[in-house]
Amino acid sequence: MATGESSEVAARPNLDRRRVTSLVFEALTAVTPGMRVEELDERQELYADLGLDSLRFVRLLVELESTLGVNLEDEELMTVELVTVADLVDLVERISLLSAK
Amino acid sequence: MAATPRDPQLPTHWFNILYDRPQYVASAVPRSRLSGAVKYAGHGVQLQQPFSLARQSLNTADRFIPIPDEVLDLYAQYRPTPLRRAVRLEERLSANARIYYKYEGANLAGSHKLNTALAQAYYYARAGVKRMVTGTGAGQWGTALAYACRVFDLGCTVFWVRSTLRQKPIRGEMMRLFGAVVHESPSDLTEIGRRALKEDPSAIGTMAMATGEALAFAAESSESRFAVGSGENSVLLHQTVIGQEAISQLAQLGEFPDCVVACMGAGSNFGGIALPLLGAAEDRGRPVRLVAVESAACPKLTRGRYLYDLSDALGTTPITKVYSLGSTYVPPPVYAGGLRHHSAGPLASAMHADGTVEAMAVDQLTAFAAGMLFCQTEGILPAPESAHAVAGMIDVVSRHPRQEAPLVVLVNISGHGLLDLGAYRSFAAGEIEPVEVDEAILSQSLSALEEFNQSIAAPAGAT
Repeated sequence: MATGESSEVAARPNLDRRRVTSLVFEALTAVTPGMRVEELDERQELYADLGLDSLRFVRLLVELESTLGVNLEDEELMTVELVTVADLVDLVERISLLSAK
Repeated sequence: MAATPRDPQLPTHWFNILYDRPQYVASAVPRSRLSGAVKYAGHGVQLQQPFSLARQSLNTADRFIPIPDEVLDLYAQYRPTPLRRAVRLEERLSANARIYYKYEGANLAGSHKLNTALAQAYYYARAGVKRMVTGTGAGQWGTALAYACRVFDLGCTVFWVRSTLRQKPIRGEMMRLFGAVVHESPSDLTEIGRRALKEDPSAIGTMAMATGEALAFAAESSESRFAVGSGENSVLLHQTVIGQEAISQLAQLGEFPDCVVACMGAGSNFGGIALPLLGAAEDRGRPVRLVAVESAACPKLTRGRYLYDLSDALGTTPITKVYSLGSTYVPPPVYAGGLRHHSAGPLASAMHADGTVEAMAVDQLTAFAAGMLFCQTEGILPAPESAHAVAGMIDVVSRHPRQEAPLVVLVNISGHGLLDLGAYRSFAAGEIEPVEVDEAILSQSLSALEEFNQSIAAPAGAT
């Protein structure tokens, strides 16, 4: 999924879960005006609790692509279905691990 | 595989107006503002459109976006489309104008819809999707997508608004010819369809219902995804081959239009011709009038409200700011099914809100008369939707003062009306009535729209 070079990820191939969670929280707040990092936790549902519609989801992926310095590929993203923030953190963890390889 | 030689006038890029006007990126209300009933706990977030396609709707960085080679090869089979001067029509109208038209009906699907259908099917196939599911109004989008899916070896399921399906069932045969499965909407295949049929077994259907059913149906299979034929920025982007070709073809004649006219469903054929002309006019430092012609039976730009609204009956898609008559509005069953969507798309709406685009509503009788006149003078029978554009263009031309220099007008004939002969025959026989908006229904729908906006009010949080 992640094929691009990443300055941040390449420099830190072992992004720990806490760091990934923090990146995800920052990306969520970047695409949702008025949302604060302190309000977020991993158990929240992206759609029902955070109101992440498809437009905002695409914005979020663009944001994460830029933050992680990777190129997200259509085919692998198409199979992804995320319910909770934790699912999103898992996804980003996978992306960062792949890009570090 | 051998490819059709590409004409030098075939654009190699799509024109992206969001580079010039980033403020037109769609604005949506966070779903967290909605009441519990439509929040859908446990609902997963999943891409319907492939990422590289979906991000086109948000791209403000590139003025021109390269058209993939595979799509260009397919465009080359029917593009550039003709641009002609409507000399006989000018004579008949005694017009103080030079009228040019771009004709998008000369492809197998019969309309401009093929421009985005081929592009979308390309992206969906590349992303590993096996079946595209969609809703269609007039059936032109369904036909185009059915063909594009056949080209890319994808399955295709079409939910077709009942009132239009029954007006011209033969178009369904075209969709089936390419392997599409066609369902009348409302159908008993989805929960929202069953609910609608229970409330009214003779429900005529709406685009919002057909789209909602397509979304619900697509969600039932991991290999299926929903696709949309208008409204989205990416769809308008794909249609910009129309306007770019027109600029080049007019330049060969030493012309640039003073005014561009197209019909308005959700905005794809309108955007396709108008957006590149807007960009080119700004590059040249000259004005251009852009006129969107809608159906008087569904007058979202001229009588709607610029508010946040649902675009489909399922209610899971983004709640964007659009000119709308309210998602519960059921337009009368006019023959221009492609103009029956309750709202314009976000981009066309934003362009009307800031005064870039003028709007005009045309009754179907006026449209059919204009379509007949166009056929008699130019030898092309426009689709009922395109006939609205012709009627709007005639109105613009007729108001142009005699003492001024001739007006140069460009009108988009977005599709042919050869599958609408029944409607034209009825018109010729005097059997078509003028269709007027039911004021009580419209008022009720607009009130519901305003109440919905009050319930989600917190404008600072919208993006």
